[in-house]
Amino acid sequence: MKKLTLAALVGLGLMSGSALAASAWTGGDDQPTNPLSCDATPAAATAKPYDGGVPTNPPDRKGKEITVVDVPKLIGIGYFNATSKGIADAAAELGNVKAKTDGPTKANIDEQITFIDNYITSGVDGILFAANDPVAIAPVLKKALEKGINVVGYDANSTPDARQWFVNQAEFNGIAKALVDSMAAEVGGEGGVAIVTSTFTTPNQARWIAEMAAYAEKCHPKLKWLETVEAQEDNNLSFNQATTLINKHGDELKGIFGMTSVATPASAEAVTQANKCGSVAVVGLATPNAMKPYVEKGCVKSVVLWNPVDLGYAAMQVLRAVADGSLQPGATSVKAGKLGDLQVINGSEILLGAPYVFNKDNIGQFDF
Amino acid sequence: MTASKLLRHETILAVLTVIALAVLASLSDKFFTPENLLNQGRLMAEVGLVALAMTFVIVTGGIDLSVGSILGLTAILLGVFWKNLGLPLPAAIVLALACGTFAGWINGFIITRFGVPPLIATLATLALYRGLAEGISEARSVRGYPEWFFFFGQGEVLGVPFQLWLLGLATVIAAVILGLTPFGRATYAIGANETAARFSGIRVDATKLWIYTAAGFCSALAAVIFVSRVTTTRSDMGTGLELDVITGVVLGGTSIFGGRGTIIGTVLGLILIQALKNGLALSGVKGDGTIVVIGLVLIGAILAGALFDKNRGG
Repeated sequence: MKKLTLAALVGLGLMSGSALAASAWTGGDDQPTNPLSCDATPAAATAKPYDGGVPTNPPDRKGKEITVVDVPKLIGIGYFNATSKGIADAAAELGNVKAKTDGPTKANIDEQITFIDNYITSGVDGILFAANDPVAIAPVLKKALEKGINVVGYDANSTPDARQWFVNQAEFNGIAKALVDSMAAEVGGEGGVAIVTSTFTTPNQARWIAEMAAYAEKCHPKLKWLETVEAQEDNNLSFNQATTLINKHGDELKGIFGMTSVATPASAEAVTQANKCGSVAVVGLATPNAMKPYVEKGCVKSVVLWNPVDLGYAAMQVLRAVADGSLQPGATSVKAGKLGDLQVINGSEILLGAPYVFNKDNIGQFDF
Repeated sequence: MTASKLLRHETILAVLTVIALAVLASLSDKFFTPENLLNQGRLMAEVGLVALAMTFVIVTGGIDLSVGSILGLTAILLGVFWKNLGLPLPAAIVLALACGTFAGWINGFIITRFGVPPLIATLATLALYRGLAEGISEARSVRGYPEWFFFFGQGEVLGVPFQLWLLGLATVIAAVILGLTPFGRATYAIGANETAARFSGIRVDATKLWIYTAAGFCSALAAVIFVSRVTTTRSDMGTGLELDVITGVVLGGTSIFGGRGTIIGTVLGLILIQALKNGLALSGVKGDGTIVVIGLVLIGAILAGALFDKNRGG
């Protein structure tokens, strides 16, 4: 019996030891990166053929009222409340859309799939989504396309053939550049940095981290990556993880990247409570409202985001255009209501614009 | 345990399920279509498989909180064996099932050999297995499985989803074992009074070991189906599964103190919960409302069962 116990323990130890070392920054995906230039030169636009999915025999929805459901990663956080507001604003402006936001209360892909599945059965005309996992969500979205439902994604993409269009808030390498440049400016170009992300497989976070690693290697090689931790868009967990980072790395930690709108304020709070304001920089993606107290105190210098209300608004406008048939594969731009013309990039992605940096001077002007 | 007492909770549950189905069907005309019902059957297969094994576990007076983590671990190991170690997919599937079963065996081993209460032991392995899953995978997901693998989770046989056939077969096997074999009798005896069972010569430790190993196997099987259904493996798969499973089993009339419970009750409990989740969503109730209703139904069903079981002595 003792030998069996020993064997079992050794087996378990071996299993856990097979975790191999990762290259570059943990939390990035393994797709090719395209870092921007270190100065302000804009990137060259790449033209790609349309690679989105196509619905099977969609009914003619031109001009008619459509029901649309928006299934974000999770409901109940400020960021998706803002996108939901944008969607509702667009629906009200268009006048012939009934839009509803519904989703899981945790950023869980299994539950998100079930939500979408139920709405497919209940016969909606359009689905807007922000995916918790790009591959896992693909089968249920393809099922929607097969039923003739229009599918448009925003914020977090699925595999291209599972949706018709994806509204990208900003180019992944643009966000990476804005984040890394802000961090480098605050820590003086060198030092240890750690990352608090949602999960290692969330599509947008993984893409950003991969691009950040490539950009930092190219333009700020003295920044030393220490660790990436997962905090699943949960406030408490983000705070605990950030505190652990501060305690674990001590003086070696010069900056924390917050990759979700929940992680950044939680990290700022952790830094404030550890009395490390000024010695540990916090740079990340967050809504202005969540960061106002820290920016006003001077604990956080800059916050990178885009306007999520505009993101939701654009997604709804794109869905209406797709349902009406005025946005076809191969288009190079789309008219999105009050946002004007939005550019089509990467085949089937629609770019919202450049990332926006909020700081002490301008954060007071925003309320979301 | 006479037949009339055994059927008490299950009859109420059956009536409740029929009422719920009727109400939900009237709220939405898309609910009671064969397509929707089969689809729901497909979605509940994973929880169903694990719930069958969990019925045995709870009937013995134990509990297994680590089933969700075993599912996640098996899913990750499947990906690792296939992609990183390059094994052919059928071999990877078998090996992953073996590892999941072994994880269940370890649960049983800790509980029987060291006398650790099942709640504590499986709480610990919940964290251990989930941590292993995240460590081994480094949270990278594995994708790109061959087409034939998706048959388990997305395919159909004679118009009925494959996993529903699997669930049906497993239900029949489980019902036969629990209701008609000495092993099933031993399970009830252990739950009713473990000391007495031990002194009457029942091999209590061996029975428990089998049951927890079976729970591991069922979780592993559910993992294979789940990966096949979503075409990818993630280390956070199955998080929270144990709560759904235990809700279904307890709703089905299995007493958390052990000694009482049937497979048919578990099946009814699962059907009721899945029907509520789906029917309410179809009739426009948002996600949070559905959770509230399920909580109320669970409390109501337990109270109703307790009221009618006045004669039982706790």
